[in-house]
Amino acid sequence: MMEPVTAPVGKSTAREYGEAIIEIAHLHKSFGENHVLNDFNLTVRRGENVVVLGKSGCGKSVLIKCIVGLLKYEEGSLKVFGKEINQLKQKELDEMRARIGFVFQSSALYDSMTVRENLEFSLRRHGKGKSKQEILQLVEEMLENVGLANAINLMPSELSGGMRKRIGLARSLILKPELMLYDEPTTGLDPITAEEISNLMLAMQQKYNTSSIIISHDMHCARLTANRLAVMIDGINYAEGTFEELSKITDPKVHAFFKNDKL
Amino acid sequence: MLMTYNALPLFKFIFMENKSAPTVPAKKRKEPFWLPLLPDGFRDFLTEAGEISRFVTRFFKEVWFPPYEFKEIFRQSYEIGYRSLPLVGLTAFIIGLVLTLQSRPTLARFGAESWLPAMVGISIIREIGPVIVALVCAGKIGSSIGAELGSMKVTEQIDAMEVSGTNPFRYIVVSRILSTTFMIPILVIMGDAIALVGSYLAVKLTGAISLTLFFQEVFESTDFSDFVPAFIKTFFFGFAIGVIGCYKGYNSKKGTEGVGESANSSVVVASLLVFVIDLVAVQITQFFGYL
Repeated sequence: MMEPVTAPVGKSTAREYGEAIIEIAHLHKSFGENHVLNDFNLTVRRGENVVVLGKSGCGKSVLIKCIVGLLKYEEGSLKVFGKEINQLKQKELDEMRARIGFVFQSSALYDSMTVRENLEFSLRRHGKGKSKQEILQLVEEMLENVGLANAINLMPSELSGGMRKRIGLARSLILKPELMLYDEPTTGLDPITAEEISNLMLAMQQKYNTSSIIISHDMHCARLTANRLAVMIDGINYAEGTFEELSKITDPKVHAFFKNDKL
Repeated sequence: MLMTYNALPLFKFIFMENKSAPTVPAKKRKEPFWLPLLPDGFRDFLTEAGEISRFVTRFFKEVWFPPYEFKEIFRQSYEIGYRSLPLVGLTAFIIGLVLTLQSRPTLARFGAESWLPAMVGISIIREIGPVIVALVCAGKIGSSIGAELGSMKVTEQIDAMEVSGTNPFRYIVVSRILSTTFMIPILVIMGDAIALVGSYLAVKLTGAISLTLFFQEVFESTDFSDFVPAFIKTFFFGFAIGVIGCYKGYNSKKGTEGVGESANSSVVVASLLVFVIDLVAVQITQFFGYL
C-alpha cells in the first residue's frame, strides 16, 4: 500500500458538523485484478460538503456507486445513515436511495421523457400520495431554483450541456434528499458555466441543508464547494483536510493537484 | 482538519485493522467445475444461454408484483405495435402477392388453378405469415430495443433509474417483453389479412374472382388446427424477440460500439430463435396430430 503524506493536524471537523451519515472503513473494491479501492476510509458528517479529488480512472466514481449500492464492495464497511449498504434488502435500499440524490457525470436524463416527466419520475414513486397539482408545483419550484422554468416541456435532446447538468441537479433534489452525491458535476463545461453550477450546488446545499460528496478533479469547483477534501490516490484516502491545508502540503502527489490553483 | 493515515500505521495494523470494521463480502456466483474444460466457443454459448435463462427467470419473478407500469406498457405497445404496422403490412402484402404469382404456373400445369386461394391461404396462415412477420419484427423491434436499452445503459440512464428507487428491470424490461409478447400476435393477424388481400389481387390480375369468393375458398380449406397452433406460436415469437432485445441492451458493453453490437446481436439471435421456436412448434403440433 502507498505511504500516505504527513501533514499538520488542524481542528476537528467532528465538532463543526452533525453526526456521521457516511462511514467508510477499509473499503475494498476490485474489477478482476484491478484493485480500484484499496482500504479506503472516509467519514462524512451531516451538513458537510466533502470533495473527493483524484486522477481520472482512480476509482472516485466507483466509490459513490458503492455508496448508493450500484456496485457491491468486496471487503470493509460502508455505512450510510448507520446502515451497512451490502446488507440491505432491495426494498430497504430503495428507501435509502430516496434519501440520496445522485447527479451523474453525463446527467443521465431519460431521453424519451420531457424535462417535466424526468423530474416527476421519482416523485410519482416516492411522492407519498402527492396530488398531480402538488407534483407540478414541486417540479416548477425545482426548475425555478435552477433557473430553467421555461424548459419544462423540452426534451433532453434540446438542452445544452449546462442545462442538462442543471436539470440533472433539479431532478436529484426534487425528493429533498439528505445526502447529495455529485459525479464530476462540472466536467465538460466551460469555466463560466462550471462556476455557475458550483455556485448552484452551494446554494442548493444551503437551501435544503444537504450533505454532499462531490467527485471532481476541477480545483475551482473544489475550492468553491468543499468544506473538506479527500485526495484519492491508488485507491486509498491519501490525504484529507481543508483546501487551505492541502494546498500547503509539499508532498508531490498532493501538490500536483494544487500547484496551478494556489489561493 | 488535516488527517493522514501514516500517523498510526503500526498501531493500526496490529490493533485496529481487523476490529474497526466488519468485513461484508459481496456474494460471488460459483462457476461449475467442468465449465473451463469445454472448448471456448461452446463454453461461451452455454454461458450466454445460462445468462439468458437467468434473465427470463428474473422476468417471471418480477412480472407478477406491483408496481405495474401500465403507462409504459401502453406506450411500448404503441411503439412496437402501431409503429411497426406499415412495415409489416407492406411486407405481408408483397409476400402474399408474390407467393400467389409464383405458385400459379405450377398449379396451372396440373390443372389445379382453382386450388390457388386454398393453397396460398393455408401457407400464409400456417407458416409464412407468422414467420415473415416475426422476422420483420425481430429486425425492426429487436434492434430498436437492443439499441435503446444499450444507449440507456451507456449514458447511465438505467443507473439513474435505479438510484431514484425505481426498479429499472420492471420499468424497462418487463414492460417491453409484455408489449412484444402481446403485440406480435396482433401484428401477425393483421399481416395475414393483408397478405391474403395481396394474394387476392394477384389472382384477380389473371382471372375473374370476387373478393367474397376468394375468402370463401380460403376459409373453407382451413380449419381450427390451422389457426390455433399458428396463433399460439406467435406469442412465443414475441416473447423471444422482447427477451433477446432487452437482454442484449440491458447487458450492453460501454461505448457506442457496445450499443451497435447490442442492436446487431439482438437481430441475429432473435431471428435465429424465431426459426428454432417455429421448428419446435411444428414438432409439437405434429405430436398432437394437428398436421
